[in-house]
Amino acid sequence: MAIPIEMPKLGNTVEECLLAKWRKQVGEPVSEGEIIAEIETDKAVFELKAPASGTLLATFFQSGDAVPVFANVCVLGHPGEPFELFRPQAGDPPPGPAPSSDSRTTAEPPPPQAAAAPAAAAASPDRPSLSPRARRFARERHFYPEAITGSGAGGRILESDLLERYHRSPRPSPLAKALLDDGFQIREEPSEAAGLIRSSDLRPPAAKISTMRERIARRMRESLSSTAQYTMNASASAVGLLALRSRIKAGHLAQSWPDININEMVLFCAVRALEQVPELNVEFLDGRIYRTEEIHIGFACDTPRGLVVPVVRNCRRLEIAELARKIKTLARQASEGSIAREDLGGGTFTVTNLGVFGIESFTPILNPPQVAILGVNAIGLKPVRGKDGGVEFVEHIGLSLTCDHQVIDGAPGARFLKTVREKIEAIESLAPFPR
Amino acid sequence: MYDLIVIGAGPGGYEAAAHAGRLGMKTLLAEKEFIGGTCLNVGCIPTKTFLKSARLFSECRSAAAYGVEIAGAKWNQAAVVQRKNKVVSTLTRGVEALLKKNRVEVVRAAARLQSAGLVQVGDRRLEARNILIATGARPAVPPIPGIDSPSVLDSTAVLNLTEVPARVAVIGGGYIGLELAGFFFAAGAAVTVLEMLPRIASGSDADISSRLQQAFKKSGVTLKTSCKVTRIEGNRISCLDDQGAAFETEAECIVNATGRVPVVQDLGLEELGIDLDRKGIKVDERGRTSLPGVWACGDVTGRRQLAHAATREGLVAVNEMAGRRDRIRYEAIPSVIYTHPEVACVGWTEEELKAQGKEYKKALVPMAVAGRFLVENEGGSGVVKVLAGARYGEILGVHMLGDLSSEFIVAAAQMMEMEMRIADVEKVVFPHPTVSEALKLALLEIA
Ligand SMILES: Cc1cc2nc3c(=O)[nH]c(=O)nc-3n(C[C@H](O)[C@H](O)[C@H](O)COP(=O)(O)OP(=O)(O)OC[C@H]3O[C@@H](n4cnc5c(N)ncnc54)[C@H](O)[C@@H]3O)c2cc1C
Repeated sequence: MAIPIEMPKLGNTVEECLLAKWRKQVGEPVSEGEIIAEIETDKAVFELKAPASGTLLATFFQSGDAVPVFANVCVLGHPGEPFELFRPQAGDPPPGPAPSSDSRTTAEPPPPQAAAAPAAAAASPDRPSLSPRARRFARERHFYPEAITGSGAGGRILESDLLERYHRSPRPSPLAKALLDDGFQIREEPSEAAGLIRSSDLRPPAAKISTMRERIARRMRESLSSTAQYTMNASASAVGLLALRSRIKAGHLAQSWPDININEMVLFCAVRALEQVPELNVEFLDGRIYRTEEIHIGFACDTPRGLVVPVVRNCRRLEIAELARKIKTLARQASEGSIAREDLGGGTFTVTNLGVFGIESFTPILNPPQVAILGVNAIGLKPVRGKDGGVEFVEHIGLSLTCDHQVIDGAPGARFLKTVREKIEAIESLAPFPR
Repeated sequence: MYDLIVIGAGPGGYEAAAHAGRLGMKTLLAEKEFIGGTCLNVGCIPTKTFLKSARLFSECRSAAAYGVEIAGAKWNQAAVVQRKNKVVSTLTRGVEALLKKNRVEVVRAAARLQSAGLVQVGDRRLEARNILIATGARPAVPPIPGIDSPSVLDSTAVLNLTEVPARVAVIGGGYIGLELAGFFFAAGAAVTVLEMLPRIASGSDADISSRLQQAFKKSGVTLKTSCKVTRIEGNRISCLDDQGAAFETEAECIVNATGRVPVVQDLGLEELGIDLDRKGIKVDERGRTSLPGVWACGDVTGRRQLAHAATREGLVAVNEMAGRRDRIRYEAIPSVIYTHPEVACVGWTEEELKAQGKEYKKALVPMAVAGRFLVENEGGSGVVKVLAGARYGEILGVHMLGDLSSEFIVAAAQMMEMEMRIADVEKVVFPHPTVSEALKLALLEIA
């Protein structure tokens, strides 16, 4: 009875091995314990031995092929015995090119991007890939020659191909080697053709973005691809804001008041405007509009780790002092990194302020499923027509409102922005300021 | 049609020409004055022969400290000059032989560029694929009233003095000024050095230059730093100190050692629009000027003003012409000041590292840790300073003060050139007893 011989699993993490060389040909007699083929993993060369005596009836792979572990590589038996049933099926893990040296599938550090590094070579379908041992050799020595012809089947690059080239190529200096071990990469074009690869030929490793950055990136892309956002700019007289601010600074207000800043005042006005124009205080999810009775306002915080948007809950009818206090607490927690998860979600509207950097207008990006976000800009002088018909310069604060046109048309958006302006201009009469 | 015409036969030009010849390039070398350039004729070599005599003379006087009594040692300046000339002519012949061996055609005439591929050499117009300008530098003449008085000599003139003046004032405390000051002092003159900057050898690491300053003062040389020479009248030199107070000093011989300026005149550079500034012809790290096919190396480019740097720059340019990629790096080019004690350095100074914000470790070890140093230098002192990267331990700078250090600074340069880390150096064996063991100990102290 014919017996299949399968690719052994040589190590826990090995998913496939390279069939380096057939030592027996189809039709040749083989005795038990004789070596049929040589197998390479990235760690060593192994010999595939015959488990019994017989004739090599069929081989299913060629030398140079990467063979999944446990796949049948050949069949032993008596001449004439059927063997087709042992042929690996299409559904089996496909033979063929080894996984590319793509770091995601092999958990290896990505190889340095030397000129036409085999990373690229292996990844592109028309370039031969590296055998597992060759890959390991290359990785350990940071050695990635360009334009090398492999002597394995299909041009696959074997360790011996690299070895030969290695002994004729520039090597990293001791310092360069230490830097390469630390993830530095060889620049496209080494500065000298021969001799040493030196530290000046290397560039520092590309910085991997943090999980937080990754999350922000994804959310921003999603926002832009899932909404129809547009931004409108306007400005409001900041005379009231500034007057209030200077009274607070001068300590003219009651001791119990926190040090309310311009941003907090604008946020307060936005809440008041949302109370009046509730169309913007909605969520738009899967083609449905969800109205919420409460107003939960997110505010963008620049923290050492990146953008964080804490949410102040239940802002409706909050007094300005109370609102400011809540904002300050959340902002502190956000920058310390101690903010609770539940304080980071569930907003119905967002305010973001770049005015402190002197920004005059920008395009805030929506925080879906929210449908609007208000950007606060710098305060600057603006010429306005005075009562007597002359031109006066009045301090104005810039406002940039982004809305999702899927839900909010231009007019209601503009109406909201106008309301915010009115609230800002009337700030001093809006709340009972203790004296 | 030549593959290369080199203008100037200093260490930049003649080595480049020989290298080009070796690579099979058809090469012509034009020299208007002397084969070997400044270095061989009026620079490195003649000053060192002078300094050798000076050293021998002072050793004779201090020989008793070694148990040898020498009475009646006498200085013979004419014989010193004679020996210098002999050494120079031996070496010049050596250079001529080198050029001949490499089939370089040598023309003793001034050369001038006509266009990118055309050079006027004497009364001939020659075509060349490449032109290498290696015309060197000459002594600077600072705008000091009276700098043209007959008592003022530059380094070239000093080398032909047949008598040692009683009093010598050296304007400039750079390496040329210091070497000449040391020479005159040892030969018996009363010497004053006038330096405008707050310290002498100002390019050196401060730990080295401050010790060199002490050694000079101890020996009896008068050093005036932060001192500005305002006027020279006959033998009188008027100066201002850093407080703005005026003072005067007198000397029979006033040495102008205020630096060197590139030789860029009469070469046709302006006509061809080749980029240059006060420091010299501008070149990139491969020696290319702004005009394709025209290259420059050495002092005329104003980069390092050292003979071995000129040579390396020339070789880089020739390699590039021949299609071998190369580039000049200065990190591992050593420099030496042949004073007594001598200074030998390579790499960054501590001040430079601080300015770069580079994190480093350092070791400062007295030369006396090496037995041989004590043997050779009765009463002498010196230090080895090593600077290495804080993280990887790569050697960033080695600065030494002490006699014989010039002979082994190359070991440090080699380590830096190969980008060895302190950890890699541990396996290097230093012969015992040599002064170089002080370097080894300084390196190990960082490890
Ligand atoms: C007193 C003194 C001591 C020194 N000591 C040292 C030392 O110890 N170590 C060290 O490394 N360096 C020393 N130097 C510096 C060293 O001499 C120079 O760095 C070196 O000579 C520069 O070489 P170069 O080839 O660029 O130019 P140079 O050696 O100056 O040669 C240039 C040549 O070009 C020729 N030339 C110029 N114009 C033309 C033209 N139009 N046509 C034809 N030929 C022309 C000149 O005649 C000259 O021969 C010293 C210099 C001086 C002055």
